[in-house]
Amino acid sequence: MRLILLAILAISLPAMAQEDIPAKAWLENMSQALREQEFKISLIQIQADHIRPLVYIHGKVDGQEVAFLEHLNGPPKNAVRVGNTVTFIEHDQPAYSVHANRIQGVIPAAFADDVSKLEAGYKFVLGGRSRIAGRPGQLVRIIPNDTNRYGYQVWLDMDTYLPLRFDMINDDKQLLEQLLVVELLVLEDVPSILKEAHKQEWPAVMAQSERAAGEDWKFGWLPEGFKILVKDQHRLIGSKDAVEYIAISDGLASISVYVAKAGEASLPEELVTRNGLSLATERVGNAEVVAVGKVPAETLSRIAKSIMLQ
Amino acid sequence: MDRLGQEWVSAAVDGELDEQMLAELAADTDSHEQWRDYHMIGDAMRGELPQTVSVDLSASIMAAIDDEPAIVAPKQSTVKTKPATSNVVPFFKQFGQYAIAATVAMVAVVGVQNYNQETLLDNSPLPVLSTRPLMGSASPVSLQTGAVQQNQSYTNEQVIDQRRRINAYIQDHMLQQRLNNGVNIEDNGEVDTIPVNQ
Repeated sequence: MRLILLAILAISLPAMAQEDIPAKAWLENMSQALREQEFKISLIQIQADHIRPLVYIHGKVDGQEVAFLEHLNGPPKNAVRVGNTVTFIEHDQPAYSVHANRIQGVIPAAFADDVSKLEAGYKFVLGGRSRIAGRPGQLVRIIPNDTNRYGYQVWLDMDTYLPLRFDMINDDKQLLEQLLVVELLVLEDVPSILKEAHKQEWPAVMAQSERAAGEDWKFGWLPEGFKILVKDQHRLIGSKDAVEYIAISDGLASISVYVAKAGEASLPEELVTRNGLSLATERVGNAEVVAVGKVPAETLSRIAKSIMLQ
Repeated sequence: MDRLGQEWVSAAVDGELDEQMLAELAADTDSHEQWRDYHMIGDAMRGELPQTVSVDLSASIMAAIDDEPAIVAPKQSTVKTKPATSNVVPFFKQFGQYAIAATVAMVAVVGVQNYNQETLLDNSPLPVLSTRPLMGSASPVSLQTGAVQQNQSYTNEQVIDQRRRINAYIQDHMLQQRLNNGVNIEDNGEVDTIPVNQ
């Protein structure tokens, strides 16, 4: 019985040490864990009425990060990342590779990056604990500094610091999107699928040279922390309409701003989806400025109104 | 409860306490849960647990769970509609919600390959440039807002066109997320924004 007591003490001591870790250090530990640990997570992505089950496997082969993402339902849809190249393998088109440091679309890329980059727009606050995927989880709230963007909350596994649950919530605390891990396996060895992926020849990274330089656009107003990532000209994927394009991001929220010739019927001034994606349009003569992103429509509207040429 | 108390409980579980200490323990309600837990751990180790154990989640976890928002899809009311002065705007919003709802399932699949080929084939200057004289130089667009068209009725064709363009913008946004992923914010030296909050 003494042994049991000792065992309990031994378990509780590191747990007590975790009490002292500030919220930012939790996120830094998460970032390190996402980059360095070998693990497999099964998770579901919930967006309004859509639920997608996914598996994500991550490890290191010859010092290079290798990751594999698989959509479990519907037509095959996978993504493989080896180092700084992400290859999308989807049923309806030939596989293609892009230059990227994370597989986009599941765990926010910013989470595996330097989290202090998020501090311009968000505060990190430690929350309570709860049990997720059979593991004790620590909540860290990522609270926006203003109402121009949504808030996030992430639960971290208390042993590995890997994310167990990720919520995007609006100003009224309503859930817009959620990632929920149902099983987390910490792997002792690199899984064979990642070794295979590392050996495999993937398509060459798509040339980015076709990105014609865009006009010198400027914004009169951007929420604190948002920066311009890309400016170019291209044709819209679906409609082939030519657009001027500007990408802005604060690390977590990404916004696309388009300037194009207005169509016959003007687009709605603002629209909001139930998973938080919004679109705002500002019509200027026979041109329209369209802003799309997972931020409140009011923010998009204000950004669209503030665009100007240098 | 302090460390000393924990040792007491442990000793009591092991039957190493005298009458007086037991009485003191009995008065310490905090220890009772621990007493039960220790016994359960002991039972488990000896393989004496009943088939079904009603494990009480500790109060702190339950409280934490209560604090969290329910894990359900967002309510219908998430869609905000601002009070509008004209009839046109609410109609747009309604329509927009429908269009995007239809879009969301679709946008997950985007064709980078097509995107790439099209742009390679077509190197002619893009007609968007005509926006320049329109905008003038360095004046905010908001100053030139055109008159809002009111009471305009839309033909079926226009509605389809509108829907098509909304989908195109959203699809392109999703695609750009993939393409821009490698762009590091830090690599981008230009901070040519004027952050004016409110």
